[in-house]
Amino acid sequence: MFEISYSDDGNVVCQGRLDAAQSDKAEAFFEGIGARTTLDFSQLEYISSAGLAILLKTQKRLSGSGAALKIINVNKHIFDIFRYSGFTAIFDIETE
Amino acid sequence: MTQKTFTRDADNLGQVYQFAEDLMTADNIGDDVKFPIHLALEELFINLVKYNTDGTHDIEVEIDTSDGAVSVSLTDRDVEGYDVTRARDVDIKATLKERRPGGLGLHLVQQMVDTLEYDYRDRRSRIRFTKKPGNRDV
Repeated sequence: MFEISYSDDGNVVCQGRLDAAQSDKAEAFFEGIGARTTLDFSQLEYISSAGLAILLKTQKRLSGSGAALKIINVNKHIFDIFRYSGFTAIFDIETE
Repeated sequence: MTQKTFTRDADNLGQVYQFAEDLMTADNIGDDVKFPIHLALEELFINLVKYNTDGTHDIEVEIDTSDGAVSVSLTDRDVEGYDVTRARDVDIKATLKERRPGGLGLHLVQQMVDTLEYDYRDRRSRIRFTKKPGNRDV
């Protein structure tokens, strides 16, 4: 299961498992992000390459207007995925 | 070794996940092993579904848990071969401008499991991977 929504403070909260079966739902939401945005991953348990592709696509699109995604509260396992993917160099990431 | 077959559809990913999760939870497998096993299973299952679109056979998944370690094999029949152990052309040091979405799945699998084997004969693909606790930092 994967859920994504805006919190009261304007962050985007991702919950559950962002896998290939959930990527359409995630991509539809991310396409609506048009400014600098903080993603709160404190409740995200898992991400696969399908989710990474959406993050990268969004980051590239936002960079065209000088904006970017910031990702906070990343768990150890997801951080390792980011590290192996080279995302630590192209995203502002904070671990839990 | 416990075996189950899944029809070749990305929408079955939830069932594949649950099959692995139930077996690993029953044998008290730790998260440091569970996470890379789930990732490798997803990436490889999706790869078989995406790149063997003409395949008509179900995909067979076998999982063995023992002493905290997990071994998984995926078997796909009557398909073209595709060696998942071959080095991937992924430049993780590329700048944001240079990077293109996609292509990370098999790279991650190769980084995160302890062993990865591929066998192709008589149009049958078999991928086997293992993960033990305490190996690498994932």
